[in-house]
Amino acid sequence: MLRIIHFLGMTIIAVVCLLPIIWMILGSMRSYQELIQNAGHLSLNTLVPVEWTLKNFTDVIFDDQHPFLRYVFNTLFVAATVTLLVLLINSLAAFAFAKLSFRGSAAIFVLFMSALIIPGEVMLVPNYMLVNNLGWLNSFKALIIPSTLSVFGIFMLKQFFEEIPTEILESARLDGASWLQIYRAIVLPASVPALITLGIITFLGNWDGYLWPLVVINDDKLQLIQVAIANFTSISGTEWTKVLAANTIATVPILILFLILQRYYVQGITMSGVKG
Amino acid sequence: MALGKSYSLRKSDERTGIIFILPAFILLVVFVFIPMSKAFYYSLHDYMLVSGSKSFVGLKNYSALLQDAKFVNSIKHTFYFAVIVIPVQTAIALGLALLIKPQHRYTGFFRTAFFVPVVISTAVAGTVFKLIYNKDYGLLNALLSAVGVPKISLLSNPDIAMNGVIILGIWKAVGFFMIIYLAGLNNIPQDLYESARVDGATKIKQFVYITLPLLKRTTAFIIIITTIDAIKLSGLVFVLTSGGPNSSTETIVYFIFQTAFEQMQMGYASAAAFILFFMILIISVVQMFSLRSKVNY
Repeated sequence: MLRIIHFLGMTIIAVVCLLPIIWMILGSMRSYQELIQNAGHLSLNTLVPVEWTLKNFTDVIFDDQHPFLRYVFNTLFVAATVTLLVLLINSLAAFAFAKLSFRGSAAIFVLFMSALIIPGEVMLVPNYMLVNNLGWLNSFKALIIPSTLSVFGIFMLKQFFEEIPTEILESARLDGASWLQIYRAIVLPASVPALITLGIITFLGNWDGYLWPLVVINDDKLQLIQVAIANFTSISGTEWTKVLAANTIATVPILILFLILQRYYVQGITMSGVKG
Repeated sequence: MALGKSYSLRKSDERTGIIFILPAFILLVVFVFIPMSKAFYYSLHDYMLVSGSKSFVGLKNYSALLQDAKFVNSIKHTFYFAVIVIPVQTAIALGLALLIKPQHRYTGFFRTAFFVPVVISTAVAGTVFKLIYNKDYGLLNALLSAVGVPKISLLSNPDIAMNGVIILGIWKAVGFFMIIYLAGLNNIPQDLYESARVDGATKIKQFVYITLPLLKRTTAFIIIITTIDAIKLSGLVFVLTSGGPNSSTETIVYFIFQTAFEQMQMGYASAAAFILFFMILIISVVQMFSLRSKVNY
């Protein structure tokens, strides 16, 4: 009996969590008239289309004024580039902090960690001025380069790298391997789960980016998906089904990626929580 | 000979270490420390971006901000959001973690389901909820009218619009903190519960005397993170309400954004950003001390 209540309770909460997403996806597959007609009073067709159609998707994808596939491509490019650079730059630093002894390393590490308490929102204005002075406004450089530092990533990877036995690295060193070779051949392969975790957190964070692209990108051709979605909604406020189709396009790839890699993502959250 | 070799090794370690941290260090200086110092410098100036005019005004921006009704209201809205979200969201997160803690065949599915809103992007979540909240055609009112509740127009009434933001905020973030609580629950040694059961302690007593005290560290962490996130609230407001209606959902970051990028008052906006920074700093330090001191195990 208790188990049934437990199961029912969880089912209701799952419905609350998933209903907006299901409503979005199903709503994108019907005509606008049909959505409005069935919206007022609750019935199965409030949610489920009577006549299924993909017209909203073709309309959105082939809309010359709002090329959604282009926004998706822009965002994929920026998020993927940032992710690769984040993994490279911050894993090198984390490795140095974890395994290499050099003067001032502890103090420099503290300096890095002190940046953790500075919210990105505080740096919105000065970073905008900086990017403006560098002439990077309206270019992917403004979106990519400032995002390639991940202080959290250095913190997380350092903890992971410290678990790798130093003896293995030192014996490789005595056999004549350079630190770069050791990093590539031993450290990185041993840390694939941690790298995937940081990678997916970074990728999703950049896919989700809204405020920064809104500020530094004016050229519509270079715009990222989140800003495009928000703009599209305010422009075509009445065409709900198209709005829902655009949102579905922006969500489904990420949802699939998450479902495949969720183990690593959840692990990353757990690590940040337990150690903190 | 051996000594010489290890000496030269250590020396090359030193050089390699510096080379390895160099890219990250340059980014840290260029995109964190220099902008921070510049922001402080701007905050002491009357600095308009369009005209490029800049004049030193000392702390005048700060004192003007504290008397600026729009800024003070943005602080009030932000704190209203924080004061509700922190306890409610933390309690729900703990409840969800307790629900999915017992291992059954279906817990994996429910954990994923509860977590999915976390990966929905801010813009998408804001857009979809805007439609769901719609008075005439939104899903929320269809559900409410099915149980006999009169229609509400959540986002057009200044008195309740922030509640619409709060519901969306909790929907989107609670799964994240559920996972952290779940990790905390899994760290509690099972034999504590077993010996409590032998002593005849009820489930409720076990929860009050074992689970809650041993989750103090996790709870402290969650409260601090939730507070910081709440004070930084911006993205959801941008998409869901654009600060409206009647400025009732304008938050501190929203104010900074408007001042900087719509009115182009960079000095004034920087001062507001610093007030935000110090607010976050002070609140987290106070929380850290008051919550940490109670942790004992």
